[in-house]
Amino acid sequence: MLLIAIFAIALSSSVATRGDQTVWSGIVIASNSGPPEPTPAELTPLETTLRQLFGYTRLHLIGEARKTLKSGQEDWLATTKYFALRVDARGQKDGAYVLNLKLLQENKVLLETDAQLSKASPLVIRGPQIGDGQLVIVLMMQ
Amino acid sequence: MKTFEEKWTAWIDDQLTGRELEEFEASLPDKEAAQAEKRSAKQLGSLLREQMAPVLNNAEFFSHQLRERLDREDRQPAARPVSTTGWWTVRRLLWSGATALAIFVICAVVVIHNKPSSDQSEYLTQILNYRVDPAVSPNATITMFEKKDEHVTVLWVDGLQSLPPEYATK
Repeated sequence: MLLIAIFAIALSSSVATRGDQTVWSGIVIASNSGPPEPTPAELTPLETTLRQLFGYTRLHLIGEARKTLKSGQEDWLATTKYFALRVDARGQKDGAYVLNLKLLQENKVLLETDAQLSKASPLVIRGPQIGDGQLVIVLMMQ
Repeated sequence: MKTFEEKWTAWIDDQLTGRELEEFEASLPDKEAAQAEKRSAKQLGSLLREQMAPVLNNAEFFSHQLRERLDREDRQPAARPVSTTGWWTVRRLLWSGATALAIFVICAVVVIHNKPSSDQSEYLTQILNYRVDPAVSPNATITMFEKKDEHVTVLWVDGLQSLPPEYATK
């Protein structure tokens, strides 16, 4: 009984630390023009940081995708009319997920990067200028 | 009231005293013959004691002592009180060992799962590599930095081709 209890504790502890993680990826237009609108809920924790980084007050979400990682080998796509963010998960390393990211404008690859996305650390990518605003890519674990 | 035979045996063994002795000796028809018989009986008794008494030589004495000791030791476990076995019975030892092992395993699991990682990547996202297609964006430059206060990693791309506002549509 005692040994069973030990293994149960060890197993539950192990399972708890290996819980599935959800990655949220968003394509955002940051600008100072247009009617005021509330910041999307997913961006609220980053609102101040994004305003400080880019100097824009309005954050408009034009595309998003949310993926729960189970095997750590999943891939997914966040799309808008002209852009797509392709994410290809390539396993875990040091408690973070290794992701291959491709920012596509129609059929052209604007940017490709490999990142090790940590749980409490969002990734922000500055994209091209669009009109009087800025394309911003955000990835974070939820 | 003792019979004559009883008094005779007592007289042979010198157990009669006082008036009883005087009366018995007075009753003897031939005191000299009785005294001779008494001496003879005593001699026989002495002889029998000498011949029949156990005579132990060294080997027999050692063997006797050994048997006595073995008998004592065989009797001791049964006679020993339970309380003298002590608190550490085999069962308690097993339980104590299992409990100690359980505590060790639980502590080990807790320590392993709480161990801080020496790698900063557990706290901050890291950019492993990045590239732009020079044919698409010949003037692009990329810098990477971390805003450690907000735990945000930023990949800052400059020089990408600017696009018209309609690209901001969903």
